[in-house]
Amino acid sequence: MSLLSQQLGSQMVNLGSALLLLTCFAIVAQRRLTACVDMFAVQSVLLAATAALVAFLTGIHHIYIAAALTVVIKAVLIPRILKQVVERLNVTRELVMNVNIPASLLICGGLVMLAFFITQPIIPLGFLLTRDSLAISLAIILIGFFTMIARKKAVTQVIGFLVMENGLFLGATSAAYGMPLIVEIGVFFDVLVGALIIGIYTHRLQDAFDSVDTTKLTTLKE
Amino acid sequence: MTLLLAAVLACYTAGTLLPHFLRGRPTLQNYVAHGLACAAGLFGIALGAAGLAAPEPLTASITSTIPYLSFAIRLDPLAAFFVLTISLVGLAASIYALGYVTEFYGRVSLGALGSLFNGFLLSMTLVVMADNGFFFLIVWELMSLLSYFLVVTEHEKAEVRYAGFFYLIMTHVGTAFIILTFLIFFQNTGSFSFDVFRHPDTPLPQGLRTFAFIAALIGFGTKAGIVPLHVWLPYAHPAAPSHISALMSGVMIKTAIYALVRVYFDFLGGQFPWWWGFIILVVGAVSALLGVMYALMEHDLKSLLAFHSVENIGIILMGLGAGMIFQTYGLKEFAALGLLAGLYHTINHAVFKALLFLGAGSLLYATHTRNMEEYGGLLKRMPWTGFFFLVGAVSISALPPTNGFVSEWLVFQSLFLSFHIPSIFLKLMLPLAAAMLALTSVLALACFAKAFGISFLALPRSSHARHAGEVPGSMRVGMALLAVACVVLGVAPMVVVPLLDRIIAPLAGVSIADKVIALDGWALAPVNVEFSSLSSPALALLLATLSLLGLGLVAAFGGLAKARHSKTWGCGINLSPRMEYTATGFVQPIKRVFSTIYQPTVKLEQEFLEESKYFAKRQQFEFHIEPVFQKYLYDPVVDFFLAMAGRLRVIQAGSLHLYLTYIFVTLVVLLLIAM
Repeated sequence: MSLLSQQLGSQMVNLGSALLLLTCFAIVAQRRLTACVDMFAVQSVLLAATAALVAFLTGIHHIYIAAALTVVIKAVLIPRILKQVVERLNVTRELVMNVNIPASLLICGGLVMLAFFITQPIIPLGFLLTRDSLAISLAIILIGFFTMIARKKAVTQVIGFLVMENGLFLGATSAAYGMPLIVEIGVFFDVLVGALIIGIYTHRLQDAFDSVDTTKLTTLKE
Repeated sequence: MTLLLAAVLACYTAGTLLPHFLRGRPTLQNYVAHGLACAAGLFGIALGAAGLAAPEPLTASITSTIPYLSFAIRLDPLAAFFVLTISLVGLAASIYALGYVTEFYGRVSLGALGSLFNGFLLSMTLVVMADNGFFFLIVWELMSLLSYFLVVTEHEKAEVRYAGFFYLIMTHVGTAFIILTFLIFFQNTGSFSFDVFRHPDTPLPQGLRTFAFIAALIGFGTKAGIVPLHVWLPYAHPAAPSHISALMSGVMIKTAIYALVRVYFDFLGGQFPWWWGFIILVVGAVSALLGVMYALMEHDLKSLLAFHSVENIGIILMGLGAGMIFQTYGLKEFAALGLLAGLYHTINHAVFKALLFLGAGSLLYATHTRNMEEYGGLLKRMPWTGFFFLVGAVSISALPPTNGFVSEWLVFQSLFLSFHIPSIFLKLMLPLAAAMLALTSVLALACFAKAFGISFLALPRSSHARHAGEVPGSMRVGMALLAVACVVLGVAPMVVVPLLDRIIAPLAGVSIADKVIALDGWALAPVNVEFSSLSSPALALLLATLSLLGLGLVAAFGGLAKARHSKTWGCGINLSPRMEYTATGFVQPIKRVFSTIYQPTVKLEQEFLEESKYFAKRQQFEFHIEPVFQKYLYDPVVDFFLAMAGRLRVIQAGSLHLYLTYIFVTLVVLLLIAM
C-alpha cells in the first residue's frame, strides 16, 4: 500500500470516529426514547463500518467478523429488543432528565476535552495508523457513562451502557487492532445477555413501581 | 484402566445432563439419573481397585489456554483409595435413592435433584484425582456449590435456607484458606502443577511451610468439620435429603482428609516439626470428644449423626496426628501405622455413617419426622431397617466384629506405641489422647444405645410411629450393601491392610503390611506382634459360636418351661408410651456429669392444685444446652460485620444514579491523577 493511501486510510478512520462521536451528542440531545434507540443503531452501523475499514487497511481478517457481529447484535438485535420493551411497557415517550439538554451538551463537550487532554501524552507513543481514535473512544466512553447518570429511565441507561461498550470497542480497534477474536465474541455475548437482563429488570421495575424511573428504587432502602 | 476412567466420567456426565431432557416425567428421570449413577459407581469401584493394584499411577491431562490451568488427572494409590470409597458409598446411595426420591415426586424437580446428585459425585471423584492446583480448586468449588444446592432441595422451609446459607459461608471461608495454601506453593514454584509442588526446585522456607500447614488445616478442617469449625455440620446434614446427607457426611468431608494427607505427606514431604503432629492430635482428640458429647444431647436423629461425623473425623485425625509425630522422630514404621489407622477409619466411617444416614432416611420416609422422641417400637414395623441400623450402630460404637472396632483398635495401638518417642512431654500426651479416645468410644456406645433403643424398641410414642411400615426394596438393598461392607471390612482386615499399605508405603517411606499382618494373615499386630495382636476373624467366630451356644443351651434345657405369652406386668396399670424412658431422660446422668461443658439451662414450670401441692395441674419442662462455639466464637464476628455494614450505610442512598456518579467521579479523578 502506498504512503498516500495509508494517510488517506488514516484520515478515513478518523472521520468514522468523529462521526461516532457526533452520534453520541445526538443521543444526548434527543428528547424521545425511540429516537435515542435509532441513533444508537446508527452509531453501531458507523462503528461496524469503521472497524471494517480498519480490517481492510490492515488486512487483519478477524476484525471483519467482529464488524459483522456488531451489525447483527448492536444495530439490529438490541435495538429491536429495546423497542419492544418501550412499546410493551408503554413507557411515556418523553425522556426524564436529571440534567437538562443544554447543560448535558456542555458537560459532554467538557468530557471530550478531558479525553483529548488525558490521551495527549499517550497518542504519540503509538505507531498504529488508527492511533488518533483513542481520544475519541475515551470521549465516547465518558459520554456513555454520563448518559447513564443524567437520564432517569431504565431504557436510557441501557443505551448509555451500550454506548460505553461501543467506545470500548473503538478503543480496542484503534489502540491494538482489536482484541483476540475469542475475547471479542465473549464481549458480544456479555452485551447481549446484559441487554436482555436489563430488559427483564425494566419489566420488574414497571411491575413494582408502575414506572421505569430508576430513582424510584430509593424506596427499596429501608 | 483408562477405559474405566472414561466410563466413570461418561456415566456421571450423562447422569448430570440427561435428566434435563426428560422434563415432566419424574419416574423416568429418577431411573435414568440414579441408574447412571449406579453404573458409574460400579465402574468407579473397579477403577479404584485397579488403581490400588497398578504399579504406576494413571495420568491424563488436557491443557487449556488459561495460564497455569491444565485439566490434569493422576490416579495414584491414595487417589484410587478415595475413588473406591466415593464410588462404594455413591453406589449404595444411588440404589437407595431409586426408592427414596419417590417421596419428592411433584414437590421437587427430579431432573434437578438427579442431575445435581450425579454432578456432586462427579466433582468429588475429580477432586481426589486432580493433579493441578487450579483444577483442584475448580472442582472443589463445584463440589461445595453442588452440595449447597442439594442441601437447599427443600428450600421452601426457612430452616433449610438458613442451614444452606450457613454452609455456604463456612465452605467459602474454608476455600479462601485453601487458595492461600496453594498460593504459598505457587509463589515458591511458579506453577500450579501438583507434580511441581511435590518436587520443587527450591524447598519452601520453614516459615512458609508452617504457614501452609496452618492454612491447610483451617481450610480443609472447615470442610472436614473439626472443632471449632464444625458448626455447619449439624445444620447442613439434617437439612439435605437423606441420601445426600449420606454422601456429604460419608464421603464429602473425607475429601478434606484426602487433601490433608496430600498436602502434609506428599507436598510437604513428610518432614514435620513435632508440634505439627501434636496440633493435629489435639484437634482430633477435642473434635472426637466434643463431637460425641454434643451428639448425646441431640434428639434429632440426623443432627445426632452429623455430630458423630465430627467425632469420627477427630478419630481419623488422631491417627494422622500420631503418624506425624512418629514421622518427626524417624519412627517410620509407627508413622505408617498411624497413617494406616487413620485411612482405615476413613473408609470405615464412610461406610457406616452412610449406612446410618440411609437408615435415618428410612425412618424419615416411614414416619415423616426426625425427632427421636416421636419414634419407638419401630423394630416390629420395620425389621430390615432396624437390623441394618443396628449393624451401623454396632460399627460406629466400635464393637467387634464390625469395621469400626478394627480401625479404632489400630488408632489405640498407634497411640500406645508412644513410649518409643524420646520426648517426655509427648510420652505423657499420647496416652492422654488415648484416654480421651476411650472416653469418646464409651460415650458413642451410650449415644447409640440411646439412638437405637429409643427409636426402635418399646411402644410407639406417636401416631407417626404407629403407622410406619417397611421401606421399599431398593432402599433396603442400598442399606444392605453398606451393612455387608461393614462386616467384611471388619472381619477381613488382612485383605484391606495390604491395599492401604500400597498407599502408605510411598508416603511414609516404609512398607509395613507384612508386619501388621501376623500369624499367617489371621491376626493384626501394631508392627510388633509381641506388643499386642488382634484376630478379628477369630473374634467374629468366637462371637458367633458363643451366641449359637447360648441359643443351643436355651433350646436344649429351656424347653422344659412352657412358653407363655402375656402382657408385661406394669404393677397393675396398663402400660402406655408415656411411661417410656425418653431420649432426654436417658442422657440426664451424662448431662449432669459434664454440666460444665454443656452449660445446660433447665426450666421447670409447675402449677399446683389449690388444695394440695402434691397434685400438679400443669407441668412444663424445658432444657437446652448452650451452643458455646456459636455464642462465643461466631456471634461476635457476625456482630462485628453487621456493625461495620451499618456504618457503611451512610453512603448507600439507594439511588442508582448516585452510585453511577460515585464510579464516574472516581474514574475521572483516577484518570487525572494518572496524568
